[in-house]
Amino acid sequence: MTTPLLSIQDLHVRYGGIAALRGLDLTIHAGETVMVTGPNGAGKSTLMKAIAGLVKPRQGRIVFDGQLTTGRAPETVAASGFSLVPEGRQVFGSMTVLENLRIGTGLRRNALAVAADLEYLLDVFPLLRERAHGQAGLLSGGQQQMLVIARALMAAPRLLAIDEPSLGLAPRVTDQVYEALLRLRAERDLTLLIVEQSASRALLTGGRMVMLREGGIVLEGDPRQITAQQMQQAYFGYDAAPAAMHA
Amino acid sequence: MKNFLLRHRLETPVLLCLALALLAVLSLAGSNSLQRTTTEVLIRVVMVVGMFIFIGHSGLISFGHMAFVGIGAYGVAWTTMEPSIKQYVLTGLPDLLQQAALPWVPASLLAGLLAAAVALLAGAVILRLNGIAASIATFSLLAIFNVVYSNWDSVTAGSSSIVGIPTPVGVWQAFLFAAGAIALAHWHGISRFGLALRAVREEPVAARSCGINAWRQLLVAFVLSALVCGLGGALDAQFLGVVNPDAYYLGRTFTCLTMLVIGGSASLSGAVTGVLVLSALMELLIRLETGVSLGGMAIQLPSGSQEVVTGLVMVLTLIRRPAGLMQGREWQWPRLTHPSAPLPAASLEMQPR
Amino acid sequence: MTAALQYLFDALSLGSLYALGALGIALIFGVMRLVNFAHGDVMTFAIFVLIAPTTEAVAPLWVGAWATPLIVLTVLGVGAALAVLAELAVFRHLRHATPATTMMAAFALGFVIQNLLLALHSSRAKAVNLWPQLNLPVDLWGARVPALQMLMIGITMALLVGLAWMLRHTRAGLEMRAAAEDFDMARMLGVKANRVILVAFGMSGALAALIGLFMVNQTGLVDIRMGAPMMLVAFVSTVIGGLGSLMGAVLGGFLIGFVSTALQAWLPLDARAFRDAFVYLGVIALLLWRPNGLFITGASRQRV
Repeated sequence: MTTPLLSIQDLHVRYGGIAALRGLDLTIHAGETVMVTGPNGAGKSTLMKAIAGLVKPRQGRIVFDGQLTTGRAPETVAASGFSLVPEGRQVFGSMTVLENLRIGTGLRRNALAVAADLEYLLDVFPLLRERAHGQAGLLSGGQQQMLVIARALMAAPRLLAIDEPSLGLAPRVTDQVYEALLRLRAERDLTLLIVEQSASRALLTGGRMVMLREGGIVLEGDPRQITAQQMQQAYFGYDAAPAAMHA
Repeated sequence: MKNFLLRHRLETPVLLCLALALLAVLSLAGSNSLQRTTTEVLIRVVMVVGMFIFIGHSGLISFGHMAFVGIGAYGVAWTTMEPSIKQYVLTGLPDLLQQAALPWVPASLLAGLLAAAVALLAGAVILRLNGIAASIATFSLLAIFNVVYSNWDSVTAGSSSIVGIPTPVGVWQAFLFAAGAIALAHWHGISRFGLALRAVREEPVAARSCGINAWRQLLVAFVLSALVCGLGGALDAQFLGVVNPDAYYLGRTFTCLTMLVIGGSASLSGAVTGVLVLSALMELLIRLETGVSLGGMAIQLPSGSQEVVTGLVMVLTLIRRPAGLMQGREWQWPRLTHPSAPLPAASLEMQPR
Repeated sequence: MTAALQYLFDALSLGSLYALGALGIALIFGVMRLVNFAHGDVMTFAIFVLIAPTTEAVAPLWVGAWATPLIVLTVLGVGAALAVLAELAVFRHLRHATPATTMMAAFALGFVIQNLLLALHSSRAKAVNLWPQLNLPVDLWGARVPALQMLMIGITMALLVGLAWMLRHTRAGLEMRAAAEDFDMARMLGVKANRVILVAFGMSGALAALIGLFMVNQTGLVDIRMGAPMMLVAFVSTVIGGLGSLMGAVLGGFLIGFVSTALQAWLPLDARAFRDAFVYLGVIALLLWRPNGLFITGASRQRV
C-alpha cells in the first residue's frame, strides 16, 4: 500500500457556530481522480478551502505529500504541491493572460521547465495562445476557466483541485474544459480532485466519487457501480418518490 | 415597574441614566474639582452618544463629528455672549447675532440645530460615497471646519480663543443633556430609522431590495448625530467659557473615537461605558503624570504619557477585542433565567413525504 | 509668459509632493485595503531624526549634520523601518478586520507616534537648515525657479517611471499587482503575502520620508504638525483618483497641486487663507460627479 498523496483525518471545520465539516476522512493516492459531489451547503467548497489553507480547521489532520499542512498558510500549502482553482474562476482581470500564467511560477526553480510547461499549456489551450497579451478580465467565462486551470498547472502541482469547473458555463463549453482536463490527466499524470455539482459528470470523468451531505461523506465509490437509487438516497437523505428519476 | 420598562424597551436608557445620575449625585458631595471633572464626563457622554448615533448603526467611521461639536460651541458663543464684548471682538457678526443674548437652553438648542443644518448639506453629498471614501470625506469636513474657523477672524476670532462666554453649565445641566442624548439615541435605535440603517449595514443589497433607501437613512442618522454633537459643543463652550478651533480638531476626535471603540461602537451602552471607562483611565494617567506618592514612593510618568498610553490601549482593543467592552450588547437588568435558554419555537423542519 | 512658467513650476512641484504622498497611501491601500492614517506621522518621525531630541527651542542637529548621502539614506531608512514596524506590530494582526477597524487602528497609531514626538521634542517648531543652496533660484527661460522645485519634480518623475517599470517588469511587481487585485488567490498560487505587504510598507515609508526631506528644505522647519495637512491631501487624492488605482492617486495628487496653486494665484487676497477649504470643497464637488473617483478599478467596484 503506497503512502497516499493526500490524507485527511477527522476534519472539523466551523464557521462561527455552524459546523461545515464534521469529522471527515478522505484519502487520495497519486494518479487518482476524485470527484466530490453533493447538494448545496454540504461542505464541498469548505473542504477545498480547508485543504488549501484558506480556512483553519477546528480539529483534524491534513497530510499532503508527507507534510502536515493543517492550518498552514495558503502559500505554504501551494509550495507543497497542492494547487486549488477556486469557485468562480478568479482571474487577475487587470493583468494579461501571460502575466496570469506567470504568477504561479515563483515556486519553481527550473526556468527551462517553466518555459516548456508554458508551451505545452498554450498547446492544450490554443485560445490562450491567441489571447496571450490580452487582458484576462475580457475573456469569456469558459476561456477564463481554462486560464485558471492552466495558471494553477504552471505551478507544477502534484494535486490539482478544482471547485466547480462548470459553474456558470454552457454545457458545450464545459465539455471543452473537461476534454482539456482529461487530456492533461492522461499526458501529465495528474492527480485530480474536482468538486462538481453534476453527478453525471462524475460518471463521465471516471475515478472515484465521494458524495458529501451536511458536512460528512455519505457515499463513496466507483460511480459506475452505484445505483441511481443509492445516489438519490445519499444526495437527498431519503428515498425520493419512485417513478420519474433517471440517473 | 420592571415589566413596564421591559415592555416599552426603556430598560437600557433608564439604567444608563441612573448610572449617570448616581455619578452626578456622588460628585456633588465631593470637591469643586471633582464636580468639574464629572461635568466634563457628562459632556463627553453627549458627544460620544452623538457620534454613536451615526457610527454605531451605519458601521461607517466618521472623523468629522468634531466639526459639528465645534459649530455648536461657536454657535452658543455667538448667541450668549455680552453684545458689548461681541462688538469689539467679533465685528463681522450680523447685527441680529451681535445683539443676541439668549438664555442658555434656547441658545444650545439653536446651536445644535445649526450643526444639524450643516450636516444636512454636507451629508447629502458625502454619504453618496462608498464607505472608505465617505470616511475620508468626513476627515476633509473636519479640515474644512478647522481652516474656515481658524481664518474667519471677524466672525470667529480666528485661531485665537474667544473668551467670556457665560458659563451656566454645571453637573446637573450636563446631566440633563446627557439624559436627553441617551433618550434620543435610544429612540433612533429602536425606531424604523435605526432598524433600516442596521439592515443597510448588514446587507446593503438586500436592504435596497426591501425598499430601504440607504442614503436617506444614513442622512437621517448623520443629521441627528450632528444635532446631538452640536448640543455637546454648546455645553462644552458654556462650561469652559472659552472656544478655540483647535479644541475641536484631531486630539478631541481621537479621544472620542477611542471612547466609542473601547466601549463598543455597536451599542448605546457601549458608547456610555466607553466614556466612563476611558475617562477614569485618563484621569488616572493624568494624576500619574503630575506625580503621585504611593506607599512612600513618588511615581511620575513623563509628560505626554497619557496620550501615548491611550493610543496604545486603543490599538490593543482594536486588535484583541474590536467590538469593545460591551460587544454590541446593552445594559440590562440581570435576569433570573439564563438569557441564552432556548425559547420554545415551532419546528420549521419540513417533513419529507 | 514668465509668470505662467512660474505658476507651472509651482504647480508641478506642489503636485509632485502631493502625488508622492498619494502614492504612498495607494501602495498600501492596493495590497491591503488599509487607509494608512499613520502615514503623515511616519513622515514626521523620519525627519525628526535630523535633530537631537530636546524640548528646547533650538535643537542641535543630529543626523542633519552628517554627509548628504548619509542623511538621505538614514532618513529614508528610518521612514521605511517605522512603516515596516507598524505592519509587524499592528497591521499584521488586523488582516481579517473590517476597513473601519483598520482605519481607526492606523489613526490611533499615528496619534501614538505624534505624541511620542511631542514628548521627545515639545510642540515647538525647530529650525533646520538642511541644504540651503537648493533654495537658490535657477533662471529658466526667464522664470526664477528654486532649484529644490526642479529637484522635486525631477525625482518624482524618475520615481514614478521607476515604479511603473518595477510593477510591470519585475517578479516583485507582478506579485504586488496580483496581491492588490486578489490577495487570497495570489496566496493560493504561492505568492508570499506577508513579504509583498512588507515591501509595500517599506516603499511607502521611504516615500513619506522623502516628502519630509523636501518639506524641511522648503520651510526650514521641523514641526510635529507637518504631517497632517500633507496626508489629508494624500488621502483625498487617492479618493478622487479612485481607490485602488496607483495612477489615479498620482494624477489626483497633481490635480490638487494644480488647483491649489491656481487658487493661490487667483483668489482675492482676503480669501487666500481659505484656499485649503476651497480645495476640499472642490474635491467634494468632484466626488459628487464621480463618486468612485476618476479611475474605476476592480477594487472599488462592488459586485452585487
